[in-house]
Amino acid sequence: MIGRVQLAACLVVLACSSGAFAQKQQVIGAPPEAMNMRLTGFNDLQGRSAYQPTIHRQGDRWIAYIGHHGGTEDVPAPVNPLTGQAEPNGTSIVDVTDPARPKYLRHLPGQPGKYESGGAQMVRVCDGRSLPKGDPNAVYMLRTFGGEAHEIWNVADPANPVLITRLSGLKDTHKNWWECDTGIAYLVSGAPDWRTRRMTQVYDLSDPAQPRKIRDFGLPGQEPGSTGAVPTELHGPISTGPAGNRVYFGYGTNKGGILQIVDREKLLSGAKEPTPENLRYPEIARLPMSAFNGAHTTFPMLDMPIAEFAEDKDGKLRDIVMIVDEAILNECTEARQMVWFADVTTETRPMMISSFTVPEASGQFCQRGGRFGAHSSNESMAPVYYKKLVFIAFFNAGVRVLDIRDPYHPKEVGYFIPAITPATDKRCIPVEGGERCKVAIQTNNVETDDRGYIYIVDRANTGMHILELTGAARAAAGLPRS
Amino acid sequence: MQRAATILVAVIALSALSGVGAYQMTSSRQGPHWQEIAWPFPRDGWPAGRAFRCDGRSCDGVELYVRAKRGFCNCDRGVADDEEVDRVADIDLITPRFTPMAHGDGVKLGDMQGRVRHYALTLPDGTPRTVAAIAVSRRCDLLVAVAQGRAEARTAQHMALAFLETEPLAAWTIAALEGR
Repeated sequence: MIGRVQLAACLVVLACSSGAFAQKQQVIGAPPEAMNMRLTGFNDLQGRSAYQPTIHRQGDRWIAYIGHHGGTEDVPAPVNPLTGQAEPNGTSIVDVTDPARPKYLRHLPGQPGKYESGGAQMVRVCDGRSLPKGDPNAVYMLRTFGGEAHEIWNVADPANPVLITRLSGLKDTHKNWWECDTGIAYLVSGAPDWRTRRMTQVYDLSDPAQPRKIRDFGLPGQEPGSTGAVPTELHGPISTGPAGNRVYFGYGTNKGGILQIVDREKLLSGAKEPTPENLRYPEIARLPMSAFNGAHTTFPMLDMPIAEFAEDKDGKLRDIVMIVDEAILNECTEARQMVWFADVTTETRPMMISSFTVPEASGQFCQRGGRFGAHSSNESMAPVYYKKLVFIAFFNAGVRVLDIRDPYHPKEVGYFIPAITPATDKRCIPVEGGERCKVAIQTNNVETDDRGYIYIVDRANTGMHILELTGAARAAAGLPRS
Repeated sequence: MQRAATILVAVIALSALSGVGAYQMTSSRQGPHWQEIAWPFPRDGWPAGRAFRCDGRSCDGVELYVRAKRGFCNCDRGVADDEEVDRVADIDLITPRFTPMAHGDGVKLGDMQGRVRHYALTLPDGTPRTVAAIAVSRRCDLLVAVAQGRAEARTAQHMALAFLETEPLAAWTIAALEGR
């Protein structure tokens, strides 16, 4: 009798454990996993690995511009169904005016090459009428062209872009920032003579047809001719423009991160020669992070009222910078990359105040395959979500919604993990004698539009999901009930 | 009983002496002998590697620090230029102030390719040193090695490369690059 009970117990345990194992990996045909978010629309982006989405209102249309990494070993140049041609990954242009029925307009090929060595990862868009010397009838798209160039296209007719300008001769590019009201652009570049792969080239792109270089910028030790240790390379900056007069630079990917706070006016008007003294001149402060974490995105949220401090005589308003690390290794073979909040109110003494990560056990994410950890956040400062909710791309944990109205205690209020499709590419890790691969969603980047739609794109070629909030997350943003 | 103990001590002493002799002969015939030592640097963003000290008359006090760095973004280009060696090799663990002595050279280690470059630096106690820094890559992963000592950098480089090519080190390298 006891033997039978034990056998039954073993079978139950076995069944439960195999069920748990089954949950570890995504399955084609299974529904998405979600809390307080729902799917509105989808486009497969021609099966191209995606990086930055930027959603821009053009008249009464809403256009999504999506940057792509290079192709894969298996498919270096996917076929564009609109042309029937194999095209190296570049920029997808999608009409999302009706988010339930996104319409793919155009694929603009990028630099041939695989993964980070090709494509056109980054994209920003400014209206000609907002730029001081722009053509008022133009809409300008700034994009990278692989690692070798930055390009500006007129996308007033988004289905028929026209090349305006090309800044080439670089050894790398990455996550640019472009002030649409001044035209000042912080181009993440690899100037050939600098000792780092990525640094900043500041340009005046107020007239996109006539780019004017202002200066090169980086951390002392990265400049040409220097010796000794080379500081962590740049990932990307975000500027608050002339009004805020600050540029927040994020250095690092998954290690040795640095938040650098820079006086924008001093950066633009200071001496241009890249000497250590001139590079130090505009710097207000640095916040060095743990060697375990890098700074992919540094998103400023200044003058935030903190409810808990409302009765305090001083310090009711706080300047907050959200720092998002980037996970780069599959299946948790590195330190956890996550989200950090820094209080930079006293600028020369910035301090980390809180952090967020997705609990691994909530989805057994280390077992699912691919990367698990943070990558990037939305960067739109439109009022619909700014200083209320942020959206974090978390690779195989999808997109996560944080209520950050109290940045000292960020709280997750929603998430969406898309289902995989036959287009979702595998992710492998080395094992003895070969490699082992799994297929999992890899939500790489996220952006929001002024209407409140959330766009997430996949590094593993699944495509773009257009989402909206529901329930408590929607209420936290102050949006009407859907 | 006392006699037996004396004989035992004598046998042990003779064995030890002959062992040392054999070791020295082997060392002088087969080149330097590398003794593993504790990783001498504080924890940073990468897991600790392995450190070795060269014993023998020809060693000139050379130490070798070697570690795998998994997740290196230049997956296609690999270690393509000298600046990459400046950035990724672990010379900054010894001191953040170092100066290249010349342009580097291409180097091959097993099936991995990369570059080697020589540097001059001053240890925290004021001692001048030359080091050879080696950085080779396989897909998106790196193996870096720094050899430093009183020997000339080129000599240290050759000693380090010869050691890294030995079977035990080559096997460890593969395992380390695979995260095992």
